[in-house]
Amino acid sequence: MLKLVVRGIRANLGRLALTLISVVLGVAFVSGSFVLADSLRSIFNQISEDAFAGVDAQVRAVEPELNSSGENLIRFDESIIADVQALPEVEYAEGGIFAFEQTYSLLPDGEINRPLGPPVFTSSWGGPSPVSSFTIVEGEAPSGQQVALDSSQATAGGFAVGDMVTMSLPTGEPEQFQLSAIIDFGDGGTGGAYFNLFDLDTTQRILDAGDVIDSIVVNGGSTDADALLTAIEPLLPADIEVVSGETVIGEQQEEFGGFIDIFGNILLGFAVVVLFVSTFIIYNTFAILVGQRTKQLGLLRSIGASGTQIRLMVLIEAVIIGIVASIVGLFGGIGVAWGLKQLFSTGGNSFPDGPLQIQPRTVIVVVLVGLVVTVLSAILPAIRASRVSPLEAVRDGGRKERSMTFRLVAGAIVLLPGLVLLALGMFGDIDGTASRLTSIGVGAALTFIGVSMLSALFAGRAAGTLGIPVEATRGINGRLARDNASRNPQRTAATATALMIGLALITGVAVLTASLLATFDDLLDDALTADLFVYEANQGLDFSSSVVEQLDALDTTEDVAGFAIVEMFVDGEVESVTGFDTATGTAVINPGIVDGVAELSERGLAVFDETAADRGWALGTTVPVEFEDGFTTDLTVELIYDDRSIVENAFIVNRELSRQHVQIDAVAFVGVTFPDGADAAAARADVETVTNNFAQLTVQDNTEFQEEVEGQVGQIQIVISGLLVLCLVVAFFGIINTMALSVLERTREIGLLRAVGMTRSQLKSTIRWEAVIVSIFGALLGIGMGLLLGWAAVIAIPDSFISKVGIPWGSLVVYLVVGGVIGVIAAYFPARRASKLNVLDAISHA
Amino acid sequence: MTATPTTAAEVTWAARADSASKVYGSGDTEVHALRGVSVGFESGKFTAIMGPSGSGKSTLMHCMAGLDRLTSGSAFIGGTDLGTLNDKQLTKMRREQVGFIFQSFNLVPTLNVVENVTLPSDLGDGKIDKDWVHEVIETVGLGDRISHRPNELSGGQQQRVAVARALATRPEIVFGDEPTGNLDSRTSAEILDFMRRAVRELGQTIVMVTHDPVTASYSDRVLFLADGQIVKQMEDPTPDSVLDTIKSLGD
Repeated sequence: MLKLVVRGIRANLGRLALTLISVVLGVAFVSGSFVLADSLRSIFNQISEDAFAGVDAQVRAVEPELNSSGENLIRFDESIIADVQALPEVEYAEGGIFAFEQTYSLLPDGEINRPLGPPVFTSSWGGPSPVSSFTIVEGEAPSGQQVALDSSQATAGGFAVGDMVTMSLPTGEPEQFQLSAIIDFGDGGTGGAYFNLFDLDTTQRILDAGDVIDSIVVNGGSTDADALLTAIEPLLPADIEVVSGETVIGEQQEEFGGFIDIFGNILLGFAVVVLFVSTFIIYNTFAILVGQRTKQLGLLRSIGASGTQIRLMVLIEAVIIGIVASIVGLFGGIGVAWGLKQLFSTGGNSFPDGPLQIQPRTVIVVVLVGLVVTVLSAILPAIRASRVSPLEAVRDGGRKERSMTFRLVAGAIVLLPGLVLLALGMFGDIDGTASRLTSIGVGAALTFIGVSMLSALFAGRAAGTLGIPVEATRGINGRLARDNASRNPQRTAATATALMIGLALITGVAVLTASLLATFDDLLDDALTADLFVYEANQGLDFSSSVVEQLDALDTTEDVAGFAIVEMFVDGEVESVTGFDTATGTAVINPGIVDGVAELSERGLAVFDETAADRGWALGTTVPVEFEDGFTTDLTVELIYDDRSIVENAFIVNRELSRQHVQIDAVAFVGVTFPDGADAAAARADVETVTNNFAQLTVQDNTEFQEEVEGQVGQIQIVISGLLVLCLVVAFFGIINTMALSVLERTREIGLLRAVGMTRSQLKSTIRWEAVIVSIFGALLGIGMGLLLGWAAVIAIPDSFISKVGIPWGSLVVYLVVGGVIGVIAAYFPARRASKLNVLDAISHA
Repeated sequence: MTATPTTAAEVTWAARADSASKVYGSGDTEVHALRGVSVGFESGKFTAIMGPSGSGKSTLMHCMAGLDRLTSGSAFIGGTDLGTLNDKQLTKMRREQVGFIFQSFNLVPTLNVVENVTLPSDLGDGKIDKDWVHEVIETVGLGDRISHRPNELSGGQQQRVAVARALATRPEIVFGDEPTGNLDSRTSAEILDFMRRAVRELGQTIVMVTHDPVTASYSDRVLFLADGQIVKQMEDPTPDSVLDTIKSLGD
């Protein structure tokens, strides 16, 4: 029997090779995701271990419940350094202060020198020591008005040791520093991040931080790690802790690992989608192959093969393909991961190099996934094959198709729960956006399968209808194309499904994007009344609140309002709260005042209307709050608002109050208005004289702000669609495969057509248009499903984020055209092959 | 020997072959399917080609019909040397000047009767004498089934559609490749009768390959091939005379 399987595979090598590609693509995606994530994790783990190699213990603040400064750490008095250093157990201790972003080197033209994406760290550094995380590449440790920069930053800025480098500082007054050293983090690159290192005093000065630090790293020499911790512990005040070096490394690795996990899981998610699409292709190929071999199978049955044996034959074929595809995909994925890693390493991001991590888990999962997906997809065709009766060996043609009633019932059984889940995700009483979207995701997968099954019911008629214009314009070629596209509805449906899923997802993303932008457009018209906005466009980071005062001091500005994000207890719960310059805030934004006064008093509180309703609060309600520094007071609800699009938080307090009780007085966003009749260009130039001193800040008017957001959203869409394009590639191979098989099936018919006068180009045109009709059918289904999914997601996502459904008509037309083009390209090889058939051979083809 | 009468100057040839040779393969596996056959098919005549398997009868027909090319020599349809035509011109020639009736699988399953009949013309400029098409379909007795699909027709009906298609463009010549090979004798007789009427009454030229003496007896002339050469021809055949000839050639 194995011999038969092998012969069968050999006879259909071309078809199976195309099927193989669709499995391989999905499997390679899985394998690449694993290998890349594992390799990145291993590299970052190594970096952490290198960087903290000499750190036996770290003294730091206990993470408080409230931390408005975000990534920037909680600071404490530097006097503890001397106490720790004085311990006999301590060989070496260095206190330091650190900041996320805040300082930047400037390029000679005054532009900011920052990496695209990765962060810029500012840190104090005491020079090479047992606890140093940095190694000097060239030069000496910075001291006084000196700075040390990492090598990639120095290269990007064209700085050499000894050069004077202008640094943008959080104080808003750039200063010149001499580049004393070029350094590396750990032993290798920085993973793309930039490091600006100063001595401790300078760091404290430029961060405007006073005599505080956020950590002490300790080397205990020969002291036992536990003994070191025990010795330091008693010196520390209540909210300061000491942890071992291992803990620090572990935390670092966990943090990096978290990012890498997210990254890897996103890739895996796409891989799953690609595999899902592949199953339709594999199923289709096997179904067609079994159909074409009906006579052979009938013969086998008539000479004594049992149904089980036939079924096994098909499944063994699937197993062999699955294994081959898995292995090819495994190596393909490893190759892609290697390529990406090389790209990172050489991309100027000083990405440290490390070995590719191919873990046994990767191999096992990949092979299993490839195998399971292939075999699962082949089960139905295998069962069908085993039902071929011996009589069909002698009966001519006329394969019987499964009854449409069965399809209707089976399709409905799958589709209905899918739609229910979709509806639940949209309108159901489910808490949390994530679970809503999960419900929609699972619902979507079921809906895809259901629609795929049911589409066979109308694929024939649909293809026939779509073919009408083709027939009208292409005459007999169009007529034949139309007939061929609609003559086998099940095949048309299965082929179109693969394309449908890819385009549905891409359309769904496009609808989400368009909805996001439509929401944003609306919001911008209503909510933003400022002439200019100042903010950090790269990561939305906080910056010094002195920007607000400096802008306010300008003659050319009317109202200037800063917005801070602070963490505080509101009625006992940790909340993110907006600090609002109440005198001017409503001049630059419109939070949608439902009730109350526009100008909050110092102890005033504004509450989002739904939140107020949830908590049963109204104007005049007194709410207890506690700030980061432990200050507690009662605030009175003075304002209810209903637009959270700009003020993202559900609470607003007076910034005059909040700034007094946070560790770092920063703002996230500043709005500026000009006096009536002001020269906008001149006023803007004035504003920029201030903001230019904060290199990270971006100044934008409404239009620019809108373009910026559109650009960012557009980029995300491009990345997601780019990954989803792989689904289209799989679908593309599926169409080639189906077309090739259909052509093969119709060899005699093609011979006849050629004999009675069809030219080669007419034949090609017929096949091409058939593929186009099938593709357009798939594309239309996909676009329809995509609209449904996008709409579902928009409903499921909170209104504060997306409140309006946007339909990207232009993109939809493009997707439809893309569908057609995919058909044209996919038909190329089958059409060429068909046109080269020898007429006589074709006519006598069995 | 040559089957072309050299004296009959008034005769018009619907198709003819001149020293037609066809060789398949090369070297040791070389097969000479036709060895310098010269033959003419007179307009308005019904010719049968007979011969044992491998005698070259099908090859001769395929080459004369423009479905295959000769290795040497020439084949003409009307006055056109098929050897001078490229694939596209040859296709056009088949579409306009040649009709085909194959043994089976004659029809495009997705097209109905009338569409199958007009297929060659639809593949071309679409100009066709509609009255003539309907007359032909009526004549083959399928006037009440013009919008049926092939799978709704019996084997004999399908062959009649094929005959109608072959005649619909009023081609120079119609080739039949065992046109009744798959039919029972009664249906065969119907089809053959009709083919003979097309020749007698409509002046059509038909050439068919067959191995059945009864089928051959419907023709005006039978050519016998063996080993790639015409070994005998017979005018006004009867089943018995054909059978006798086959027997005598077999000896």
